[in-house]
Amino acid sequence: MQTETTPAQADVSELDLVRRCQAGETEAFDQLVTRYRTRVFAMIYNMVHNEQDAWDLAQESFVKAWKSIGRFRGKSSFYTWIYRIVMNVTIDWLRKRQVKAGGAEFDDAIQLKEIDPASKTVPKADPLPHQRMEQHEIRARIDQAISQLSPEHRAVILMKEIEEMQYHEIAESLGCSIGTVMSRLFYARKKLQNSLRDVYENV
Amino acid sequence: MKTFEEKWTAWLDGQLSGKELTEFEASLPDLAAAEAEKRDALRLGAFLKEQLAAPALNNEEFFSHQLHERIARDTQDRPRSTSTWWTIPRLVWSGATALALFVITTVVLMSQHPAGEQSEYLTQILNSRVDPAANPNATIYIFESKNDNKVTVLWTEGLQTLPADYAAK
Repeated sequence: MQTETTPAQADVSELDLVRRCQAGETEAFDQLVTRYRTRVFAMIYNMVHNEQDAWDLAQESFVKAWKSIGRFRGKSSFYTWIYRIVMNVTIDWLRKRQVKAGGAEFDDAIQLKEIDPASKTVPKADPLPHQRMEQHEIRARIDQAISQLSPEHRAVILMKEIEEMQYHEIAESLGCSIGTVMSRLFYARKKLQNSLRDVYENV
Repeated sequence: MKTFEEKWTAWLDGQLSGKELTEFEASLPDLAAAEAEKRDALRLGAFLKEQLAAPALNNEEFFSHQLHERIARDTQDRPRSTSTWWTIPRLVWSGATALALFVITTVVLMSQHPAGEQSEYLTQILNSRVDPAANPNATIYIFESKNDNKVTVLWTEGLQTLPADYAAK
């Protein structure tokens, strides 16, 4: 049974694994999958909030990665490259699901017009719960808040706060500019602060 | 030129320094409120980091096995890679070669083909001359027969000599 490797180990032979994949070695690709499957699954899960969907999307992402590994030129890290595929697959899925659901608009699309960038975030007026929330309730609140963000805003906040990726890595993964990443982070944080302040101030 | 949102995000994440940091903080109308906002945002980040532990990927080996199966199936289903022999340059070269062969063959065949009998016969007629000294009363008519379709008649009178193979033709 293969085990997850440390980042240092990954750096050493990752390019070699990629080269072997490009030569058609599926065993090398298996090793790359083993390295990243947990993180990829977690990232997608936090985007879609459903285990089965996250499983399927992770599978689809890796299949696409295998198909296009020949085009990987090593200009960015494999990690960034695979995240770009993951983000494309997941955001596309979320967009299609939004269309099927009737095209409800994500909150942040409205928020762009409503929030004054210089304004101070005001705590929600909702009363704080008197009982300590159960863990699943907290999680449900977070999922609910995140689901109100657009797929792109979800992606930046999760990659920054959970994956602790740098701006340029996020930009490469999403195929946008660093400025766009920073701008999206600004609005995503504002939105989540408004939605979740009563939760994180009381945990 | 960075927008306010970009500067704010960079400031919040500790990415501003030196003159840029000083200028940004000087531009804030209420630095204390902004600092409180920054602490709040950082708290949100820590909270998300702590709470958003995704469920473990159960059956990791099955995940890889299923993926392996999909890739293998996809590889089998994928039509065999089409030959790249018929590339554009090769098509051009093939066409040029075929054309050259055709021209060479045609030239060779035409040079080896004997002149047609009819062509040789007509040439002989055209080259013939009636010698007025030897045939002072010679008259030659050429006309198309009205009775027999497509028959051209060469009517000669007063000739003392006639190529022997004229009639035969």
